[in-house]
Amino acid sequence: MGVLVLVKIGWRNLWRNPRGTLLTALALGLGLTLLLISLGLLDGSHEQMVDNGVRFGTGHVVVQAQGYQETGSQELLLPVRVVSTTEAFFYTEAMKHVSRGVSPRLLASGLLSSAANADGVRIMGVIPGDERAVSLIPQRIVEGNYLADGQRSGVVIGTALARKLAVKIGAKVVLVTQAVQTPDTETTDADGGGMQSTLLRVSGIFRTGIQAIDAHVIQMPLPEAQALLGVPDRVTQIAVLLDHEGESLMVAQGLRKQLTGVPVEILPWREAMPTLAQLFLLDDAFNYVMNGVVLAMVGLGILNTILMRVIQRRYEFGLCLALGLRPVQLAVMIIGEALALTAISLTLGLALGLGVEHYFATSGLDMRWFFKSSLPTALVFDPIIYARLSLTRIASSVGIVFLTATVISFYPALKAARTELPGALKVF
Amino acid sequence: MTEWAVELKDVRKIYRTGPIEVPALRGISLRVAAGEFLAIAGPSGCGKTTLLNIIGGLDRADAGEVLVDGKNLQLLSSGELARLRLRRLGFVFQAYNLLPVLTARENAEFTLLLQGVPVKQRKDKVQKLFSEIGLAGLENRRPGELSGGQQQRVAVARAMVTEPAIILADEPTANLDSVTATALLEVMEQLNRVHGTTFVYATHDPQVMERARRLIRLRDGQIASDVAQAGHALEP
Repeated sequence: MGVLVLVKIGWRNLWRNPRGTLLTALALGLGLTLLLISLGLLDGSHEQMVDNGVRFGTGHVVVQAQGYQETGSQELLLPVRVVSTTEAFFYTEAMKHVSRGVSPRLLASGLLSSAANADGVRIMGVIPGDERAVSLIPQRIVEGNYLADGQRSGVVIGTALARKLAVKIGAKVVLVTQAVQTPDTETTDADGGGMQSTLLRVSGIFRTGIQAIDAHVIQMPLPEAQALLGVPDRVTQIAVLLDHEGESLMVAQGLRKQLTGVPVEILPWREAMPTLAQLFLLDDAFNYVMNGVVLAMVGLGILNTILMRVIQRRYEFGLCLALGLRPVQLAVMIIGEALALTAISLTLGLALGLGVEHYFATSGLDMRWFFKSSLPTALVFDPIIYARLSLTRIASSVGIVFLTATVISFYPALKAARTELPGALKVF
Repeated sequence: MTEWAVELKDVRKIYRTGPIEVPALRGISLRVAAGEFLAIAGPSGCGKTTLLNIIGGLDRADAGEVLVDGKNLQLLSSGELARLRLRRLGFVFQAYNLLPVLTARENAEFTLLLQGVPVKQRKDKVQKLFSEIGLAGLENRRPGELSGGQQQRVAVARAMVTEPAIILADEPTANLDSVTATALLEVMEQLNRVHGTTFVYATHDPQVMERARRLIRLRDGQIASDVAQAGHALEP
C-alpha cells in the first residue's frame, strides 16, 4: 500500500473535526509565531547592540600595532603606511559597499585639569569627519558641538568628567601627558619624552550612558594629539565600521592578506572586545534555552493532540489491523497525520509570525514605556528594538519545529501500531 | 478427500483476569466445508465471538488445532496471520465497519489497496460488486451519508472484493431493521451462491438462523447442537 494513500487517510482524518483541527493547528502555530518573534527581536536587538557596542569601541574591525591588544601600551603605534594601505583597501570596488567608515585614532593616557579639579583621561586623537562615520560619540553631544575638521585646540568630554571638572562649553582645560617614545619615533620634545601639556577649550559635552566613557574619554583633533604626543603622522589604531556585523571576519581576513608582513594585529570586534562578545554569548545562551522551552511546548502540544486522536480511534485501528493493515503501515498513517497537522500549524504560525515580525521590523518594539518618565537623555542602546530575521533563521525555525513534530509523532504512531487484537474490536 | 475451509480440533480458550480463569471454549471440534452458509448461535457469553476471533486469526487458541484454508493458524506468526486475513478472509462486523474518512468506493477498495492491486483493477472490481449488491451510484458517499443497511453492504463488498475463501460475519444484522436485514442477507446468500464463498455468522438473529443452511448452537463454550437446516443433525 502506497505511503501516499496512508498520508491521504491521515489528512482526511484531520478534517473529521475541522474546527478542532484548526484550533489545534492555531495553538501549535502560535508556538512557531512566538519562536519567530523571539528570534527576530533577539537578532534585531543583538544587531543594534553590537552596532552600538562597536561604535563606542573599536568598530567592527580594528587594525593596531602588534601586541597592543595585550599590553595597551601607548608606545605601540602603527607603521605610517598602514593607514593609507587600509584606507586604500576600503576604496577597492569589492570593499566600497562593505564599510561605513574608517577612522584612524591616536590613543594615550593623560591628566585633564580645570581650575576646579583634575582627572585621569583616555585621550583619543581623531579626524572628526572620519570619527563621525564610525563612532557614536559625535551623535551623543548634549551640549555644544562636536569637533569640526580643521578645528584646533578643541576637545569634547563626557558629562561625568565635565561635572567633576566643573566645566562648561568654552571653558579652558589643560591636558598633560607624557610624550610617546618608540624606537622608530623621534619625539619633538626637547626633554626626549618628558611631560607635555596643551591648553584646550571644551567645545562639546557628550553623554553615552556608559560611565567609563562619560567619565574618562576625551576626543581631540588628531593633529593636535600627534603634536602633543610627539608622533606626527602616527596613530594607534584604525577603527573600521562595516555595514553588517557578519562580515567582520571576512573583512579582517582580507585586511590581513593586504597587510601581510606588517607587524600589526587585525581583530574582528569579538576579539577586540571579548567582554562584550561574551555578554552576547551569554544572552544568546539564555535565549536559546527560552526558545527550547517554546519548542518543548509546541512538541508537547503535538504529542497531546495526536495521542488523544490515537486513543479515541482504537476501534478504527483494530478494524484496519483486522482487515490486514500491517502495524508499520498504521504507524506511517499516524505519522502522516501528525505531519499534516504540523504543516497546517506551520503555515498558520509562519503567516502570523511573519506578519508580527514585519510590524516589529518596520515600526519596532518601543521599550520607552519601560523607562517612563525617567528616560535618560542618552541610552547605551536604542530603546526601540527593530526585529531582524534572516531567511536562514526562518528556515531553521520551521525545520526544527517540523523535525520535533516528526520525532514526537513516533510515540503515538508506535502506540497505534501496538493496538492489540482482538481487544480493540470489542464488537467482535 | 474433502477440502475443509475450516477445521477445528479440540480447541480451547481460557481468559484470565488476575487469578480468575474463565473458560471461553472447552474443546470445540468442527469442520466447515467450502461454500457453506453457516450460523453459530447461542446466548451471550457462550463463546461465539471467541470462536470467530480464533477462526479469523484475530486471537489464538490456548490448545487444539485451528486449520483455516488448509493452514494451521497456531503455527503462523502475527505477520503471516495478517497476510492470511488480508488475502483469504473477509470480515463484516456488527457496526462501525467502515473508515469514516473514506468514501464507499474507497472503503470497499481498502483491502485491495492493502494488497497492492492496481487502480484500474480496483475500480472495476468494486464497480462490478456495487452493481451486483445494489450500491451503484453511492460510490462517492461517505459512511455518514449512507443508511445502516447501505453501510453494511459496503462492508460486505469490502469483504468480498478480494475474493476470500471465507467471510466471517459477527452479528451483521444486529443494528438493522428487519427489512434491511432481509435485503442484506439476500445479498450475502446470492454472493454465496454465485461465488461459492463460505459464510460463517455469529448471530442472535432468528432470521439469520433460519436462512443458514447449517446451524451450530453453542452453550458454555461447547457445541450443543450442529444441525443441517435441511433436517440432518450433525455430530459435534
